[in-house]
Amino acid sequence: MRRKILTSLAALMFAPLAMAQGVTKDEILIGAFGPTTGPAAYIGLGGRDGMQMAIKEINAAGGINGRKLRVIFEDDGHSPTKALGAVKKLIDQDKVFMVFCAAGSNATVGAIDYIKEQKRIMYVSFASAPAVTWPFNRYLFRGSTTEVPRYGELYSEYIADGLKAKKVAIMNGREEYPKNEGNALASQLKDGYGVDVVARAEFNIGDKDFTPQLLDIRKAAPDVIAFFGNPAEASIALRQAREFGLKQQFFVGATMVDANFINVAKANAEGASGFALIPFLPGNKNPDLVKWEGAWKAEYPNLPAGRPNVFDIMAYTDMHLLAHAMKAAGPELNTDSLIASLEKVRNYSSSPLASPITFTDKHHVGNLSLHIMQVKNGAWEPLPWKPSRPSVILKRYE
Amino acid sequence: MTASVLLQLLVSGLSVGSIYAIVALALVIPFKASGILNFGQGEIVTVGAYTALVLVGFGMSYWLVLPLTVVIGLLAGIVIERGFIRPIMAAPEFTLVIATFAVGLILKSAIRLYWQDNPFALETPLNADPIHFAGVVLNPLYLWVVLCTLLLVVFLAYFFKYNRLGKSMRAVSQSHDAARLMGIGVERVLMISWGMSAAIGALAGILLAPIVGINPEMGHLVLKALVAAVIGGFTSLPGAFFGGIALGLVETYSGAFFGSTMKNIIPFVLLVVFLLIRPYGLFGKPPVVRI
Amino acid sequence: MSGQSGRAALWWLTGLALIVAPFALGTYHAYLVNLALINIILAIGLNLLTGNSGQISLCHSSFMAIGAYGFTLLNNLYHWPVPFAVVAAVLLASIGGYAVGYPARRLSGIYLALATLAFLALTQVVIEEFPDLTGGIRGLKIEAMNWFGLPIDHKYLVYFLLLGCTALGVYAAKQIMDNRLGRAFDAIRTSPQGAQALGIPVAEIKLTAFVISAAYAGLAGALLSMVVGFIDPVEFGVSAAIRYITFIVIGGMGSVAGSIAGAVALTGLPEALRPVKEYSDLVYAALLLLSLLFMPNGLVGLASALRRKP
Repeated sequence: MRRKILTSLAALMFAPLAMAQGVTKDEILIGAFGPTTGPAAYIGLGGRDGMQMAIKEINAAGGINGRKLRVIFEDDGHSPTKALGAVKKLIDQDKVFMVFCAAGSNATVGAIDYIKEQKRIMYVSFASAPAVTWPFNRYLFRGSTTEVPRYGELYSEYIADGLKAKKVAIMNGREEYPKNEGNALASQLKDGYGVDVVARAEFNIGDKDFTPQLLDIRKAAPDVIAFFGNPAEASIALRQAREFGLKQQFFVGATMVDANFINVAKANAEGASGFALIPFLPGNKNPDLVKWEGAWKAEYPNLPAGRPNVFDIMAYTDMHLLAHAMKAAGPELNTDSLIASLEKVRNYSSSPLASPITFTDKHHVGNLSLHIMQVKNGAWEPLPWKPSRPSVILKRYE
Repeated sequence: MTASVLLQLLVSGLSVGSIYAIVALALVIPFKASGILNFGQGEIVTVGAYTALVLVGFGMSYWLVLPLTVVIGLLAGIVIERGFIRPIMAAPEFTLVIATFAVGLILKSAIRLYWQDNPFALETPLNADPIHFAGVVLNPLYLWVVLCTLLLVVFLAYFFKYNRLGKSMRAVSQSHDAARLMGIGVERVLMISWGMSAAIGALAGILLAPIVGINPEMGHLVLKALVAAVIGGFTSLPGAFFGGIALGLVETYSGAFFGSTMKNIIPFVLLVVFLLIRPYGLFGKPPVVRI
Repeated sequence: MSGQSGRAALWWLTGLALIVAPFALGTYHAYLVNLALINIILAIGLNLLTGNSGQISLCHSSFMAIGAYGFTLLNNLYHWPVPFAVVAAVLLASIGGYAVGYPARRLSGIYLALATLAFLALTQVVIEEFPDLTGGIRGLKIEAMNWFGLPIDHKYLVYFLLLGCTALGVYAAKQIMDNRLGRAFDAIRTSPQGAQALGIPVAEIKLTAFVISAAYAGLAGALLSMVVGFIDPVEFGVSAAIRYITFIVIGGMGSVAGSIAGAVALTGLPEALRPVKEYSDLVYAALLLLSLLFMPNGLVGLASALRRKP
């Protein structure tokens, strides 16, 4: 009997000291990965710098229940092979507490199995790969970026209800993402709103000429032209469209709702509309954003045009949300307590720059809001339109 | 398919083809002189475009930026040849392939470090309103590209036929030893041929920039230029020109008639067909092998 | 200690270290060892083709892709047991090697390089044109593998299969190089006309070289899918193909030791460059160029030059 009491006492005494990996009494170590080299570097660099700026602020304000945050950011070169190496290094060598994923979809999916095996939390900020949130896994969370089907839901609602278009032409690149955007829009328009897709044209990523596609579209005389591809192609297509006398409004896919698009398309971008993941894009005159950009530029004075970009903002707001959840988890911070704390987050925006995030114990789909914007006077301005149809995405988690 | 659509496609095809032609010329010149295929040529085009971006950013007029970019390209080519190619000229072919690729990668990474992957546009006086003519829309930029290509080809033809340096380059491309025996400074000629090739590549960059936008991956078109050079014949300058134009036209028309998949595949199918049936292209000559 | 027994001791020690590795190393270092072994297999095959028989191939990443996608699809769709799927992947890649080697046997130099480049471009297109099958640009995940229901931890099974294949690959390459086929390769590289004059069927041997080296690449590809668990077409594009050529150029062309040296060094290098963050591409390319300038015969050449110095 005595032995039992002594053992239990010992267990009670020592338990709190057996802290989670990556959590010490002064520090929480977070691992992060994303592309900082190669063509997708703007994603990873935005992620890294946005994250670190948030961490600096959090630590300056006293940290998290007396602990300072520290991040180790690894490059994944946009490759699943390298991403897996990065995550293994972070968890196995650096012994991080959790992983913040600032990577593209393929690299993210490459790391998922290992994360699940290691039972560490991975918070995904940018990648939209379905495998992160479906099937449900308690260790994976998706933050600022939204689910792929949501794009189709909102695009079709805006074009049919918002723009009141009756005839739509869709032009998309033949790669997966633009093709999926195009297909999702086409089927939703037809099934959900009875809107006619009068022309479908495809092009190859990297194409420099869209004459045949645009001439076909001109013949079909649509009300709105939807374009899914990259800013570089959009700028050429828009210019050529105007040359061929096409005056319709352009609706563009998510990758073009960005300052880069306006930089290359210049005057031809005017009037184009599209959805953004965050309420205000870099460059907008909103006072909170202007203040934030000022602080960012003070932190990173020598970076080129085009930064900060959306990834800076998304990583920044996501990091603040994580910090908020960590604080609420209390001094006994470990994987389970953080998961429990995150799952209590309801419509939380860490700042006016963030979309509201919700996690429950049934789903970890953080953000379902997209914000419609239009190019006015050379900048993306939010429009007052709001969707009224509820999303069906969360139904499958019930 | 109306006549005006066909004409419209002709204009696009010719301008796309002109770009391929210029880059193909930039590939063929050092190949003829030194037997080396420069896999970093695409990045030299990119450097040309970014050079133009920087110079325009200083407020210089386009008409000054254009020749300046070409001169900078020339110097860059000379530096590359002297610094990196000359020391390894005697190495096996594969080493040279990797070396040119490495030079290209260094250029691309350096560009990416400063400008990242933000696309930029180049303002030129030719970004004007399109001209409408015979039911066809003519973009002045495209016309300018075609014009520059023609001028370049005429210049090169004259240069290689009548100019002394040009003639020495021809001699060197036939045989280094014979040229040496004729008193031609082979090393100097090689240096200049790389310089010329880079100058032409830089020209392609500044011409391409306002049409497609400036980004670090612009150099990808070197693959298409390679196909053009094979079609025309790697040992023939007029061949490179015709190969480029032909490829541009075939691509544009097949894209319009057969869809985008075809447009993607056709250049490489052509490449394979030519390599199997006529590897020396339409105008090239097989090398004379001395037993 | 004489050089001979010293070298034998080195082999034994390396072998022992490799066998103990998965139990002794953490997951990160074990992962690196896995990648190095895969790269060794690839490099050996490429070296036989390029270093020995003198044929440049810019599409080796495509043969790897055939092996990788072949294995993954047989595994995901038909649940073939791993050894059978691997063998099938190797055969598929060999067929790819034949498909390229046959028309290419009359080509050489840059024309051969371009032909292989065309094959690379075409395989990329095929992967991206059939996304329902290959996952296209979204990539493809390797589902649970069929190991005949063996109760051993999957990661050890993968490692020892990989180790076994590497040993086999090294042994086979040495056998080829030390015998008639290897000598034929060398003859063709040195002088195709001379080889012809000696009665060597040049075209046939060139084709054989392609098929063998594609088989190695296919094996490496299948093993890569097993180790990483996820593949996408970018892994098998032009940059990858050039990267593989750097293994043999840096290591030393024409020798198995060169392939091993280059593969190990260049697997470790990107990881070692992690601290330089976004400069790592630039540093990698610069190191590459510098070693081409100052080490034209690769690491192996450097080693023997150092050994010759008194």
